[in-house]
Amino acid sequence: MGQLIEEQYVWRLPVRLYHWINAFCITLLFITGLYIASPVLSPSIGEAVWYHKMAWFRYVHFGTAFVFLANFIFRLYWALFGDDKYGRFAGFKPWSPIWWGKPFKEQLKSYLFIKQEEPNYSGHNPVAALTHFLFVFCGSLFMILTGLAMYGENNPGGLTDSLFGWTVLIFGSSQSMHTMHHVVAWVFPVYLILHLYAVVRHDIVERSSITSSIITGYKHKVEECPEYTD
Amino acid sequence: MKKETTYAEILESRGVNRRDFLKFCSLMSVYLGYSSTFIPTFVRAMETKPRIPVIWLHGLECTCCTESFIRSSHPITADIILNMISLDYDETLSAAAGDQLEAVRKQIIKDYKGKYILAVEGNAPTKDDGVYCMINGESFTNVLKETAADAMAVIAWGSCASFGCVQNAKPNPTGATPVHKIIKDKTVVNVPGCPPIAEVMTGVITHLLTFGKLPELDRLKRPKAFYGTRIHDKCYRRPYFDAGMFVESFDDASANKGWCLYKMGCKGPTTFNSCPTVKWNGGTSYPIQAGHPCLGCSEPGFWDNGPFYTRLADVSFLGTNSNADKIGMVAVGAAAAGMAAHAVGTAIKKNKKQKSETANTEEG
Ligand code: HEM
Ligand code: HEM
Ligand code: SF4
Ligand code: SF4
Repeated sequence: MGQLIEEQYVWRLPVRLYHWINAFCITLLFITGLYIASPVLSPSIGEAVWYHKMAWFRYVHFGTAFVFLANFIFRLYWALFGDDKYGRFAGFKPWSPIWWGKPFKEQLKSYLFIKQEEPNYSGHNPVAALTHFLFVFCGSLFMILTGLAMYGENNPGGLTDSLFGWTVLIFGSSQSMHTMHHVVAWVFPVYLILHLYAVVRHDIVERSSITSSIITGYKHKVEECPEYTD
Repeated sequence: MKKETTYAEILESRGVNRRDFLKFCSLMSVYLGYSSTFIPTFVRAMETKPRIPVIWLHGLECTCCTESFIRSSHPITADIILNMISLDYDETLSAAAGDQLEAVRKQIIKDYKGKYILAVEGNAPTKDDGVYCMINGESFTNVLKETAADAMAVIAWGSCASFGCVQNAKPNPTGATPVHKIIKDKTVVNVPGCPPIAEVMTGVITHLLTFGKLPELDRLKRPKAFYGTRIHDKCYRRPYFDAGMFVESFDDASANKGWCLYKMGCKGPTTFNSCPTVKWNGGTSYPIQAGHPCLGCSEPGFWDNGPFYTRLADVSFLGTNSNADKIGMVAVGAAAAGMAAHAVGTAIKKNKKQKSETANTEEG
């Protein structure tokens, strides 16, 4: 058994809102995206032009994409300029060797069972920050750039195409870009599994209420009281 | 040096009458996206500009571009163009061959320095010193470089010259390289397609001849007039796409009704070309109209984005032929298995820790 020694307000409302809008958008984008790639035959009831099954899935994908993009930009702003100790990503400096030093190694060793102790962080631990960065930040950026480039293709020379159309040069052709947008889409379900596992595990091991923290904002510090263990 | 004749003079001498000549000028200005007020510009240019010699090189290719070109749907178009550009050098169409023809090429380069057009069909195999395409004892790569050096403009005909086509599909055994990767100091106009539509080819060359400069090009150096929009955005089956009414096999009822070919692997949504508007064989039809999905023949790397008849492209992954969804599911499976194993590890660790703690309290 443990004893509650401290309650910490870690995730402020902007971060929590960002998190859930993000999770919602990604889920929707993933489902509609897969549907776009493998639609089901659905004969219309009436004129084809009245009936918008495929168009509707694409519409939802694009609509959600812009909410997702706005949310992404907001989080970026908050990470760089927000008045938020835990949400700032201020300590995240992967370009500096110091960042890869002791805290990162200890957290990694603990995850790999090389070390007994479980470091306890109020905000993101360094390994978590790195995974968020690689999967969520880089993954989102990739989806946004390729997505907008594809989105602009119906109007070459238009605004979206002029701003993002160059992306196609990286992939060689529009078809390869579609393929890569589709491959990288799978980064998100993979991340979700790692993420949910890590969250639940930390909660069980540290009893820090981390799972509910992303809803309530509060994490708890718990001290082991050996006399209560059986 | 020969006396410089104008296009109109040549056409007259070949028996093209005024009426056909004007028809041709209007047709070209329409294809190239100019308003009818531009027709006089075309006419005047044709009447006054000296004829430009064209050197037409053939590299590693199948000659389908030439086949398409000489079958330009409107007979007068082919006639006029073929007379107009004179094709002073073309390995396929010229009567001369060997040393004789090479001498002609060298002569044109000398006489018309900076004033001739180089049209290239096919690409250059660069592996093993270019032995996979030799012209009169010289590697095609060298012939290409030599001829391009003094050309006024370089046109890459077809997907081979523009992007590589089947020759440079994986694993590209001959090191086939598209023209723009060999001629780097000049803008190479890409006119992709396997083959390109005849009217597109004549349109591009007419623009060059009449205006003396390259047409407006897009990011991949294709003329915007012909490659400005996707097949998908001009496809007459698009309402079926939006509705979700798809063909699922070539002999199903939907195929009979002419619904959308997306699920049959149609690459229309990712292909920039004029097929739905200019069409083929004199505006008769184009593949989708005939019930066949677009293969994306005018797109870079279309052979490697196959299979032709599925929507999802094959992706090689750890040495296997896979696709995006298969890779994704393997990754998700691996993540889930990894997490399950980690959970077991955590449980064991926790157990151990608890045991040692209990032991400690008992001792203390
Ligand atoms: C597609 C789904 C999801 C994505 C992309 C995602 C992404 C993220 C990201 C980027 C963070 C870092 C927060 C920040 O600083 O902005 C985070 C934190 C967190 N998420 Fe999620 N999340 C998803 C779903 C969920 C779900 C379903 C839960 C449910 C319990 C959850 C619980 C948490 C918790 C507890 C944290 C704080 C973890 C920490 O200390 O770093 N997430 N998530
Ligand atoms: C988490 C983010 C996203 C996921 C998981 C996702 C997923 C997908 C998937 C699986 C496809 C089908 C690709 C194919 O095989 O053709 C797709 C298509 C597409 N996505 Fe996304 N996407 C995301 C974000 C975005 C964003 C931000 C945009 C920006 C506008 C976007 C625009 C598009 C477009 C234009 C298509 C092509 C639709 C078509 O060809 O009809 N996506 N997406
Ligand atoms: S047949 Fe091809 S180009 Fe036409 S609407 Fe369907 S997917 Fe698009
Ligand atoms: S429909 Fe597609 S594959 Fe067919 S000729 Fe046109 S661009 Fe090439």
